[in-house]
Amino acid sequence: MTTTTTEYNKFLPEDIPDSQMPFWESLKAKAVKVQRCDNCGAYLYIPKDICNKCYHTELTWTPISGHGEVYTYTIVRRAPTPAYQEEAPYTLAHVTMDEGFRMIAKLKGIAPEDVRIGLPVQITYEDVTPEWTLFDFEPAPATTG
Amino acid sequence: MAKLSDAAIAGVYQTKQGILTDKTQPSVWWECVRGACEDAGISVGDIDGLVGDGPSGVGLRDMMPAPGLAELLGHPIRFHARNTVGAGAAGAGVNLAAYAVAHGLAEVVVVANAVAGQARGYGSANRDEAVATMAKLSGPYEYVYGTTRVSDYATLAMRHMHEYGTTAEQLAEIAVAQRHGATLHPLSVNGYRGDITVEDVVTSRMIADPLHLLDCCAINQGGGAYIVTSADHARSLGRHAPVAVLGYGEGHNHIDPNAVESLTEFQGAKVSADTAFGMAGVSRDDIDVAGISDHFTVGVLLGLEDAGFCKKGEGGSFVEKGGTSLTGRLPTNTSGGFLSFSHAGMCGIFTLIELVNQLRGDAGERQVNDASLAFLNAVGGAQQAHAAAILGRV
Repeated sequence: MTTTTTEYNKFLPEDIPDSQMPFWESLKAKAVKVQRCDNCGAYLYIPKDICNKCYHTELTWTPISGHGEVYTYTIVRRAPTPAYQEEAPYTLAHVTMDEGFRMIAKLKGIAPEDVRIGLPVQITYEDVTPEWTLFDFEPAPATTG
Repeated sequence: MAKLSDAAIAGVYQTKQGILTDKTQPSVWWECVRGACEDAGISVGDIDGLVGDGPSGVGLRDMMPAPGLAELLGHPIRFHARNTVGAGAAGAGVNLAAYAVAHGLAEVVVVANAVAGQARGYGSANRDEAVATMAKLSGPYEYVYGTTRVSDYATLAMRHMHEYGTTAEQLAEIAVAQRHGATLHPLSVNGYRGDITVEDVVTSRMIADPLHLLDCCAINQGGGAYIVTSADHARSLGRHAPVAVLGYGEGHNHIDPNAVESLTEFQGAKVSADTAFGMAGVSRDDIDVAGISDHFTVGVLLGLEDAGFCKKGEGGSFVEKGGTSLTGRLPTNTSGGFLSFSHAGMCGIFTLIELVNQLRGDAGERQVNDASLAFLNAVGGAQQAHAAAILGRV
């Protein structure tokens, strides 16, 4: 049995297919990439095997700005496990990225009560174990265009 | 040409809903099936079709429930099928059962849902285990952040409030109406707790903003079953008014909540309702009583809007002042629904059974006057898969 050097005891990604690993590797490199359709230019998240706009299968891992605004959110007060409960209350946000697609993550760096739909946010990275890096959102200055 | 309404629901049965840890899934499954057969006046040995789960087992017995049932009954099972409407599957299964009977693939089809014993995962009577198991259903791109089934729906409610001005008090009206129905149903899990007020709901513990404890479904065990046979057979049994599927539709919508355009308007729900109403040839105004999946109060609001009972965004005013109560404009989830009757397993079966009771005129103190047409909405996941049915006496 192997043990990790960390006491991180929240859920880690499981059963990620090799085809989706470039996303997780981009988080580890702290330069997030998502798939973009070579044909129609749509950004796709979470990773897919086919473009859900034009059905083409040629997709390229592409850097994104990491900026967006809150589309909707909730404040979790009853968490799924004791490890998450230690952090509660925490904010989960669905964010519309500048490139026109949505991503889901925690929103940190702002009191949950102060979060509003439309809040400008940006991606930050958190190395939770030596193997895995997750992303969070934090408040950001508003972007234009 | 055969049509779904050539078949009918002839028998129904439900256990007391609650904690059934002293029983087993197979014992409760058989209790429900036997009870539904007795209600119909049909012998258990006449069953020749199965939709969904049988008595649980290990390995092949779970993968292939029909052969297991055939072995126990001593004759071949002529039809087995499943749908994938999640918690709504056993309710939506009425379509498959009616299809099989209408086309002569089977004569007596049983659909049952049983959760009992020391079940693991989301069937567990242990609340912490059930919550943690359900949280991981969303997949790694969400669960790593500590999402829960409540948070999945809370984000929908938050956006609906933002777009349409829906209030926590309006959502609370749904829970209040349904709890009252549960107080009038002796088998309900929460009826014994008594009536609640809007104030009770909005001051109950916040679980995931804006959803409070009393906006959330119960976590419990229990069972239910129904029997589908030909409408002629059901009529000849002389026990109850046969209740048929007059129209049916499905709308599987999305898996990733970030991959759909809107989180307040679900095309799959609309398509399922439009298909069902089109097949039945009736209008929304003709519906006397509804059953709409209510894992959380906001589910009813979204279901009412997307099924076309009111315009998008007007669900809040629709449910105000008891709009979904027994005497409201559209009595909905009159047994208490998932919030107050039962949220055990494929709980859409309980939504369906209550509509059957209403259409038979057997709903006792919950009876809606002159209930002759009912609308069923069965949901899997957080508005991810939808089925709709129009039910009526034949």
